This record gives sequence, structure tokens and C-alpha cells, in this order.
Amino acid sequence: MDLKLNEDPLNLANTILKDIKSSENLGLLRCVQCGMCTSSCPGAMHSNFNPRDMIEKILEGDETVIEEEDIWNCFYCYTCHSICPVGNSACEVNQILRQFAISKGTANKKIQPFLEFGDIFLSMALGGIPSIFFPEMREDIGEDWWEFKMNLDNVRNKLDLGSYIPPQESIDEVNKLLINSGFEERIEAIRNNKKP
Amino acid sequence: MSNIKDENLILPRLEEEPNSDLRVGVFICRCGGNISDVIDIRKVKTSLNATVVEEFENLCSLNGRKIIRDSIVSENLDRVVIAACSPISHEKTFQDYIQPLNPYLMDMANLREHCSWIHDDNPEKATEKAIVLINASIEKVKQSNAVDPILCRTPDNVAIVGGGISGMSAALSLAKQGMHVDLIEKSATIGGNMAKIGKVFSPVKIAEECGLCLLNPILNEVVWNKNINILTNSKVLKCDRRGGNFSLLVESSPRYVDSEKCISCGKCAEACEVEVADSWNDGLSTRKAIYKPFSQAYPDSYVIDMENCDKCSECVKACPMNAIKLRGEKEMVPLNTGSVILATGHKLFDPKLRPEYGYGRFENVITQSELGRIMGVNGPTRGKLQKLSNGEVPKRIVMIQCVGSRDEKPDGHKYCSKVCCMVALKNANIIKNKYPDTDVVICYTDVRTPGMYEKYYKHSQQSGIRLIRGRPGEVAKNGENLIVRTEDTLQKDFIEIETDMVVLSTALEPSEGTKEIAEIMDVGVTEDFFIKESHPKIKPVTTDVKGAYVCGTAQDPKDITESIMQSTAAAAKVSEMIHNGIEIEPFIAEIDQEQCNLCGNCISTCKYKALSVKDDLMYIDPMSCSGCGKCLTVCDKNAININGNIDEKIFGTIYGMLKDKKKDDRRIIVFLDSIGYTAADNIGVNRLNFPESIYIIKVHSVNRVMPKHIIYALQNGADGVFIGEYPGDLMYDEVEKKMETIKEKISTNNMNPERLGFSHVYIPYFRGLADKFIAFDEKISSLED
Repeated sequence: MDLKLNEDPLNLANTILKDIKSSENLGLLRCVQCGMCTSSCPGAMHSNFNPRDMIEKILEGDETVIEEEDIWNCFYCYTCHSICPVGNSACEVNQILRQFAISKGTANKKIQPFLEFGDIFLSMALGGIPSIFFPEMREDIGEDWWEFKMNLDNVRNKLDLGSYIPPQESIDEVNKLLINSGFEERIEAIRNNKKP
Repeated sequence: MSNIKDENLILPRLEEEPNSDLRVGVFICRCGGNISDVIDIRKVKTSLNATVVEEFENLCSLNGRKIIRDSIVSENLDRVVIAACSPISHEKTFQDYIQPLNPYLMDMANLREHCSWIHDDNPEKATEKAIVLINASIEKVKQSNAVDPILCRTPDNVAIVGGGISGMSAALSLAKQGMHVDLIEKSATIGGNMAKIGKVFSPVKIAEECGLCLLNPILNEVVWNKNINILTNSKVLKCDRRGGNFSLLVESSPRYVDSEKCISCGKCAEACEVEVADSWNDGLSTRKAIYKPFSQAYPDSYVIDMENCDKCSECVKACPMNAIKLRGEKEMVPLNTGSVILATGHKLFDPKLRPEYGYGRFENVITQSELGRIMGVNGPTRGKLQKLSNGEVPKRIVMIQCVGSRDEKPDGHKYCSKVCCMVALKNANIIKNKYPDTDVVICYTDVRTPGMYEKYYKHSQQSGIRLIRGRPGEVAKNGENLIVRTEDTLQKDFIEIETDMVVLSTALEPSEGTKEIAEIMDVGVTEDFFIKESHPKIKPVTTDVKGAYVCGTAQDPKDITESIMQSTAAAAKVSEMIHNGIEIEPFIAEIDQEQCNLCGNCISTCKYKALSVKDDLMYIDPMSCSGCGKCLTVCDKNAININGNIDEKIFGTIYGMLKDKKKDDRRIIVFLDSIGYTAADNIGVNRLNFPESIYIIKVHSVNRVMPKHIIYALQNGADGVFIGEYPGDLMYDEVEKKMETIKEKISTNNMNPERLGFSHVYIPYFRGLADKFIAFDEKISSLED
């Protein structure tokens, strides 16, 4: 990468360090590119994702890294985070980069499958797994899981646990909060492929 | 006056002209016009009230000396003021010129750097200021007492803790200069880590040399030198310090074999049936409970490891020399020495703390130290490179660098261990020479081979060693073999290296002995628990305990060359102290034993570790005391005093500076330590300006300026008080903190606390200091109350 006299390659890194998600004393600027993160990264083993390379681009001020497909191959195992000799966390940095991509509106396709998380919050005031993942999970975890899920109400009744759905007034309150805080608007923008 | 606590604030009444019958002589130097071209000397002379006032062209010349001496004798002078240049340039000269008077009965008024060179644009103001500066010195000398410099001598024997290459080198250097050395070694032999390294690298030679062949002559010299007393199986239990005197209590454990009788025939070990891991071979082989650590060990004698001995007495029966006794008591050896050198060395990082590399789980993952033993001809395999799993020569060896070094994770070390790159290259080279078919790969983060070692690095690359830039994340088992997972960061390639041996380059860290002795002797340590030197640049072998020095890997990771250099440097420092003693300025603390109740407040407050209790008496070590006066402020019994009337001299100087102050005058009193005073001199030397209102007093330590002095100055007409201190001073933080309490005291005395200013000072920062004076003067002139 060329570097012009008036350019500060550390702008991107400093923006990341100032991000609300960035841990205190994150070692991003202390990175010596040793590659230990990549050496232990399952994402790197099975795809072209390379956490060291991602950090290198950030330290060079290369903003194209935000739009790279590969950054979506990290699945937050945090091995790089626990192993980094200088206290950096490629994993955490990756989450911040993804958030940049989402805010720029270039990552809608990547997160549309997860929108149902938000829908469930809005309608039930609960966290819930999007239904589009059910077939794969049924295959991976097995029929027992599926049966348990289908009979959850019965199981809870037997155990005298009552409904897991919060009372309507709580749902209304959470719903109001999510609408007033702009959460719903953001969800809809992403659904309609607009800049959130 | 003045031996009062700050809280009481009974201020002296100097208006009564104390000691007014003293005969004071003032000698004014024209300094070849440097002073007299600006200052009207005639006016100065007529304005002073002194027994004698003389002027001369160049007072520092031998003719100047004659004038001063003749006048002292003929006029029977008691005190002398030299109004000339800065005391930084000529104080020692004039202390000599005033003989037969005591050197501390003289004070210098700085008419040149702090007056004529500053105010050369305003001769009238400069002349007025010169009079004030001389008056201040006159009042100061009236408060002076005759005191003598303290000469401290230390006994010419030395205790060296640790019998490795560092301790031995220091011992030899001192012994050859005629000093007596007690060399205290915890293990059964001297020699330390160097004895087991095998081959060593050298800064210039592109070859590996036999470590023991280099060590053995040194070891022999240590043994033969009559000035060195070697205590093995011994450790320091206690250490008390008094000035140049340490009393150590050393515990010597019995060897159970009489070294005088033992001929090292080894029949005892043949008879012994107890086998234990041999630590000299890093546990890769076994030895008997009666053993000799290695063939060249000293004492040249077997020794019993009583923790493992089952007392079967077979060795006693087998010994042809009747040298073995199974009973023995620990002996307490008291030592009195003048100095102590700490050479307690390092240990290696425990590789089990990095489980991702599989040490302890996979047999063929070893450390560089173990590889050194395997490659050593006196090691467990007699020098044959082999895998621990099956005894075969490995087809490939992957070395992993920075294990525990440059590592901010828990238990890791932030520092670089400095020697591991060379150790890895050395072992790789030896392997490549003897086993060219074995592939050697070094996975590194950065190769650090500074100076001449770079040549060795290039040489290694040529011999076919492969270097991969990447820090491996994991070592895994793959059938019989191992897999090292790393990124080749230069190729941006994630790779899995199949190998049958992995060698970990583990960090150097302080040994247990280093941590123990630091605690026993109360020597300061670094955040990594190495023994801390007084100053990393200019005092690299002294510690914060006077008379105690450090060398070798007890201080930080270093190689053998550097260890020997630091050891001889420590020996030179000891020798310096023994041969000439130390002349100490007499302005140090003094205990009134009648008053002292041994509460110990002063001990914990002293940053110079100068106080201790010995035989129920509080003792101040003159070599350690800086005269900062901190102890005075915590002594409830007022049992401590600083020699040389410092308090009274400060009051006198302030009084002299303020006594003839006119109504519209503005006078700001500035207290500077010697660093700040030199910076202020530089303002004059560079012909910069500061306001006439600035009057500078040089103090030994800024901490000696007490709240009572400041309040006295403000109550007697000073418009402001400014204090400057060098941040490198041990007391800096303390003084900075103290400023707030002083400001409160100023407020409770109904004065504006804004009249007190504080700043750090540096010698090259004289322009900044001048600007600060200007800003402070402006601030003071704008205050209305």
C-alpha cells in the first residue's frame, strides 16, 4: 500500500480502539504480526480468513478490510483472544469491523438471516433462535432435541413451571422500548436492504 | 529557634540580628568586568554592613586567595561571603581558599549567573539585587556552624551470594586485588548454569566453544585463590546492615562426606541403591543419593542428598577413605563484610504453563536446556542426539521461540529474554554439523542477534537451517509424530509442520534464590522480580541498598559475556569503596538517642533505606542518608536533627533577602535543588532574562524546605515562593504531594495559597524555567490580596 505524507495509517486502528465494543487496553497497536492468532484459528484452517492479515490491513489503514467477505468466517471461538501474546483480540476487532460494515449498509445480506432474533424480541420480549436454522439444527443435534422443543409446553406444565412467555404488559413495555430506541427501524432497514 | 514541629509554627524573630557579634568578611569579584560592568561595585560596598568588604579583579586566582587568607587572618574573621560566580563553578575553590576557616563557614552570593548576566540591561536594578543577594549570604553564614565532611570506610571483605559464572568472576577480580571474599553457594558445587550448557556461543567467533573448557580454569582459579572462602550447600538466612558493614547469617548444610578425605573414587555411589532424577541433566538421567554433581564439580568430593538417602550405610562400608558420616548438623556461620554482591542468577520458565505446546504430554517436546544436555558429551546420551521416545535420531526438529518471553498472558514475561535466539541458532548449528540429514526449523517472532551476533545468524542461514517467521499456536500429536501449527507470516500461509521433535526456547526468569535474597536484604526489585539497579543507565550495578551490588542474570536476562562484564564492574565498585572510602557531605540526619523511642516511623518513611535498629538503638547510615529531612517530619519525639543548622540557614537566607525590602518592591523567593540551580545558571550563561523579583536559594534537597520556611517568607514580605525539583529525585513525588498541604497551611494563616508555585526542573530546560519565572512573576503581580 502506498502511503502519502498527509495520511495517518492509524486512523482506522484508533477508530476501532475508541469503539464502545473495544476492551480497555486492547493490544491492537502492540501487534507484532507474529501470527499466533492465525496459527490457532479454526476459521483460518477451513477458510481464507486470516486474523493476522486482517489486523495487518487495519494497521496499514486499509479500509477495504471492512468489506471483505472473509471477515464473516470468524465464529467467535475466542482462541485468538486467549492466546495473543500482546493482549490483542482479533476476535473482538472482527466484531467491531462487522459493525462498521453493518452501519455502512454493506452487510445486509450477511445478517438478514438473523433478523428473526429481533422479531422475536419485538413480539415476545424474548431471545429465540430464528426458525430458518431449525432444519439444520434438527439434523445436527438430533430428533430428541426436536421432540423436546415441540413438547416444551407439556414438559414445563409437568414440572409446574408455567409459561415461558412473559406477561403481555412486559411484552408491551419491551416492544415500546425497542421501537422508541430505533431498534425496530434498524431491523426494517436491514430487511429492506437499506442503510440502517 | 526552630526545632519545632510544623503544626506549631512558632516562627523565629530574626529581626533581633542573631549572632550580630560575628565578624563577617565580604569579598566581591569583578570577574574581569563580567560582574563590574553591570553592577556598581562601589555602591554595593557602601551599602553592606560587614567587618570587611573587599573587591578584586579575579578572586578565583591565586592572588585572590592571598587577599582572602590575609584578610581572614589579619581581621580575625569568623565567616566569609564570596560575591562572585555560581557556587556550581567555584564553591570547592573558595572552600579551599578560606582555610584555616572551616569550609562550611563560607557562602557564595551568585552575582554573575543570577544577576549581572541576567539583568545586564538594567544596571541600577542589578546593583540593588546584588546587595540583596550578598545580604542573604551574610545572614546565612551567620547561621553556619563548623562541620566536617564524614569519611566512611568499609571493611575490605566481601560476601558474594551465588557461585555461578557471575559470582565467580566477581570473586576472582576482588581476590586478585587483595580483598577477602566469602562465596556463598546454595547447591553442592560452584559452577552454576554455565557448567551444564555444553557448548557456548561467542560474540566474534563463528563457532561454538566448549563451555566447561572455558569455565574450568576460572573455577580452578577460584578454588586455588587463598582470598576466596567457598561455602557450598549454604544460604543466607539473615542480613543486617550498618553503614559499610553487613552482618550475614549463613546456614551451611552438612555434605556428610569429608571433602578433605574424599578422593572421588565413586565406590560409594556404586554401593548406593537409591536412584533419583539427576537435576544436572534436567532430570533426563538418574543419579544416586550419594553423588558428585559433575566431574569438575568443586568441592571435588561426593555429597549426600539427605532428602533421598535411606541411611542403609552401604556407602559408609564401601568408602576406602572413611570419609562418610551419616550424621551431621546444620551449621550457622556469621559473616561480617563490607559489601555484598548479589549474583543469584536465573531459572527457566516452566513450559507446562503453555499447555498448547504439549510439554509434559508429548515425550518429544523438550526445552533448549534439555537439548543442551542431550547434545553434551557429558550428558545423559553422551552427546548423541536422540528422541526421548525411542532413541532414534530425529528427522526434523522444530524450535519454537519466545515461550514465556514477549508474552503478556498470565505467568508470561513482557520482556525479551535476549539470549534465546542465539541459543536456538547455536543448537541448530551444532545439530546441522553433526546430523546434516536432520531438518532444523526455527519458528521465530523476530530474530534478535544484535552486534556481532548478526554474523552468526547469517552463518547459520548458510548452513541450511530454515527459519519461519511465525509464532506457533499449537503442537498436536499425529500418530507417532507431532504437528506444529503456525502461520508463515511472510508467505501469509497457514501451515502444519510434521515433525518428530519440538524444542521450546523458554524464557529466563529470576531464580528463587534471587527473589529470596532480595527479600532478606530488602533490595528493590523490578516488576518482573529481578534485582533492580539504582539507575538503568548510569548506575547499572549498584542497588538501592548502599554497599550491595548486583551482577549477572539476577539483574536481568543476559548472556555469559555480559554477565562477566557486569561482575567485574560490580567488583570495581566494591574496590572503589574499600580503597578510598567515601567522603560524605556532613548535612545528614542525626539521632538523639535519649529522645528516640524506637517507634520505627522513620525507618518506613526513608526512601534511601538509611535507618535501622541495632542493639536497641536507632542507627542512621551516613552513606545512605541524603539529608532530605523526611524522617524529621514523622518523628513524634523530635529525636532527629539534620547536621549543619540547615533550618536556621534557610531562615537566615530568607531574612537577608527580605530585611531591606521597600514597599513597591516585588520579591519572589525560589528554592532549587542542584539540578534546578544549574538550570538557573544556564539562563544566565545563555544571557536570557528573568524578572528582577526572582531571588534564588540553592538547597541540598527541596524536601528540606519546610512549611514553616515558606510561611515565614510570606509573612515577612515575600510576594511569592517558587519551588523547583528534578523529577529524578527520589523525593519528587513526596514533595509534589506536600505542596497541597502547604497551600492549606498558607490559607489557614490568612494568606493566598496561589503565592506558592511548584515545577519540575531539568538542566537543558533552562528556557522553560526562565519562562516559568516570568509567568509566576506576572501571576504574583496580578494577585490583589
